[in-house]
Amino acid sequence: MMNKGKALSLMLAATLSVSALTACGGNKNDNGASSPAASGSAAASGSASSGAKDTITALLPPVSPTYQDNFDQMEKDFNAKYPNLTLKIEPASWEDMTQKLDTQVNAGSPPDIAFIGSDGISKYVQQGMALDLTDVATPDMTGDYDAVPLEYMKNGNGLYGFPAYMEVHALGGNKQFLEEAGIDWKKVQKDGWTYDEFREAIKKGVVKSGDKTSRYGFVFATAGVASKDYLGIMAKSAGMPAAFTKDLKYAYTSKNYLELLTDLRQMIDDGSMPKELSSVDAGKRWNMFLTGQTMITGKGLATFENSAKKNNAKIDANDGSAVKDSIKVDYIVLPVPTFAGAAPVSSTVVDGYVAFRGKKEPTAEHKANIAKAAYFLSSGKVAATTNNDLFAAHITKSGREAAASMTIDRSADNVAAVETMLSHAAPARPDIPAELGAKAIKIENEVIVPKMQALLAGEIKPQDMYDAVKKAAIDAFGQDGIVQD
Amino acid sequence: MAQSAQPAKKSKIKGDGVWDYAFIAVALIVYAMFTAYPVLSAFIISFQEYKPLGSTYIGFDNYAATFKDDLFWRSIKNTIVYTVLTVPVALLLSFLVAIMILPLRKKLQTVFKAVYYLPVVASGVALSLVWLWIFDPMPGGIFNQFIGWFGAHNQNWLGSSATAMFSLVIMAWLSSHGASIIIYLAALLGIDDSYYEAADLDGASFLQKLWHIVIPSLKPTTLFLLVTAIIGSFQVFQNAYLMTGGGPDHATTMVGLLIFDNAFKYFEFGKAAAQSLILALIIALVSLFQFKFLGKDVDY
Repeated sequence: MMNKGKALSLMLAATLSVSALTACGGNKNDNGASSPAASGSAAASGSASSGAKDTITALLPPVSPTYQDNFDQMEKDFNAKYPNLTLKIEPASWEDMTQKLDTQVNAGSPPDIAFIGSDGISKYVQQGMALDLTDVATPDMTGDYDAVPLEYMKNGNGLYGFPAYMEVHALGGNKQFLEEAGIDWKKVQKDGWTYDEFREAIKKGVVKSGDKTSRYGFVFATAGVASKDYLGIMAKSAGMPAAFTKDLKYAYTSKNYLELLTDLRQMIDDGSMPKELSSVDAGKRWNMFLTGQTMITGKGLATFENSAKKNNAKIDANDGSAVKDSIKVDYIVLPVPTFAGAAPVSSTVVDGYVAFRGKKEPTAEHKANIAKAAYFLSSGKVAATTNNDLFAAHITKSGREAAASMTIDRSADNVAAVETMLSHAAPARPDIPAELGAKAIKIENEVIVPKMQALLAGEIKPQDMYDAVKKAAIDAFGQDGIVQD
Repeated sequence: MAQSAQPAKKSKIKGDGVWDYAFIAVALIVYAMFTAYPVLSAFIISFQEYKPLGSTYIGFDNYAATFKDDLFWRSIKNTIVYTVLTVPVALLLSFLVAIMILPLRKKLQTVFKAVYYLPVVASGVALSLVWLWIFDPMPGGIFNQFIGWFGAHNQNWLGSSATAMFSLVIMAWLSSHGASIIIYLAALLGIDDSYYEAADLDGASFLQKLWHIVIPSLKPTTLFLLVTAIIGSFQVFQNAYLMTGGGPDHATTMVGLLIFDNAFKYFEFGKAAAQSLILALIIALVSLFQFKFLGKDVDY
């Protein structure tokens, strides 16, 4: 039999092992974590009369390179506009933004406003922690935004914040390499291209010496969860603009999905993309682009033109901080090809200022004040400065007016290409119920991403992945809940 | 008063004893707040569908869902494979390094101890970035250049199911033995010289001394390191999270990572709490097994 010492040792070993894993444990309802956000919410909840002093808290990442430098000015400008209101900004890095917000949300004490992607709204709605601003957003506010990006901030009938920008997910090309390969990039920017045309083009971009490839035709960041981006962006132009069809059937069981998977694998087998693609992350592929190891890269955002220009300037100035072994690159915005004969549909990213509630229901005044702060941050001068910094298109009338006096060094061809892509942007889908959306996200994380990694690594065939996704979809939505074509 | 005539009851706590209990209380309160309370909360949450605005009691549903979840069993299998491949080799390497440091002069011993302990104080994230660079899948990657000298083709170390787990194991083999080395070294220095003197008189060789004196004398230390290393290995999270994200195709999804994903990616705190308690039970059983079969003749 064990003696008492051994029993005690065992008990302590077990306790320590549990405690190391209980950081994920949440709190009881009345145990809100103390944070600036919590204090802001609590103080605000008590303010009942109109015009009473109130504090609105915001958790904001470095949205653009100079964004966080302007926080003091933003707080002052907001206070000047609304003397009874204080905007208290808590900065966060992109790396810990989600974790910080999720921890605060699950403790029941989130900030009043957080800057997140519109695709993250549904999970907070499902938790009951996103704050519906529909009844406090005035017509002046909502009328300022372009209709499409504003729709992205909705879930069901609720409006949960205001959009900051709508960027299109494109591809980026090296002008010199494209022209050397005989690709009429201006025509592609205007008219788009099919998968077959794209496949032939990237084959021409490959440069080999013996067995070794010194330049690939196309490199997309796919390491880890980035594979989700790759597939999601391509799927939109393969006849699947969203995970659900308009009649709410899961779309990724369509035969187009199998054809898309086959095409994505084919580009690696052709040698146009590296066989190590599954381990290429965002930093690596950008490095490969700037060092001339690929003709086209993805995903591409408008701001990449700015990054390439800055690196070109460093090369010209013989600045040691230029990317090692990099060459001068003229960045060309290119559309994603279309698959399976589908019409082009651009994948967009709409990020914005989403409103949250704490455990206590906020007062009507506090809700209205949150709407004022979210509108202030996403429109006018703040939006104009931030979006210009990002080379992102303006999506508010007030932002366009404020930006009119600001100059920006951007290629006219690229601006026109982005406008063309935005003209067929994937529409928002606030009609997808949060519960269905959550199930789709789980399939994406537990089946699609792991299988996509295996497909890119050449360990499974497109049919294997398709079958795995279909099985998971049937388990989650039933035979009648999926597309069967 | 009648009671005043009776002698006052003697307090068991007097003099410095009060301070003793006060100091113990600080540690006890910290333990209660940061260990006991979270464990108790996790236990309660494991029976709930957790929501910040009000949780619902759902009985054993989280446990039932966990036992039916193929991914949970796969993550347990991955964790066991990782543990079996890393812990014995890590202990052996620590032991060998400690043996090699032992005969050195004290100053040189200190230098080596500091060198080997350095990765323990370095940021795990920084170390992972260095390892990501080492495992670069392109031909210019350090490991790929190394195997290229032997005529092998470059490998997609972290992106292929065939090599991803092995890459994490190599990472564990080649880093962070500092604490084990120092503990082994302290234990080696604690072995009475008279054993070695007697062995020398009997004409024992180095290997005979190692086998008959050092290894038996270090058994309590080895048991301690084995138990703590296995507990640590079962809880492995950071390497998989930062290096592979559990992929490809869940080839490196460890149970710690799965618990994290359930909690922070899907907000299924109840399921995550249930899984962490099941993991704790597994660790307790493994520890019990080790004490029962390996600790029979160990005094500690």
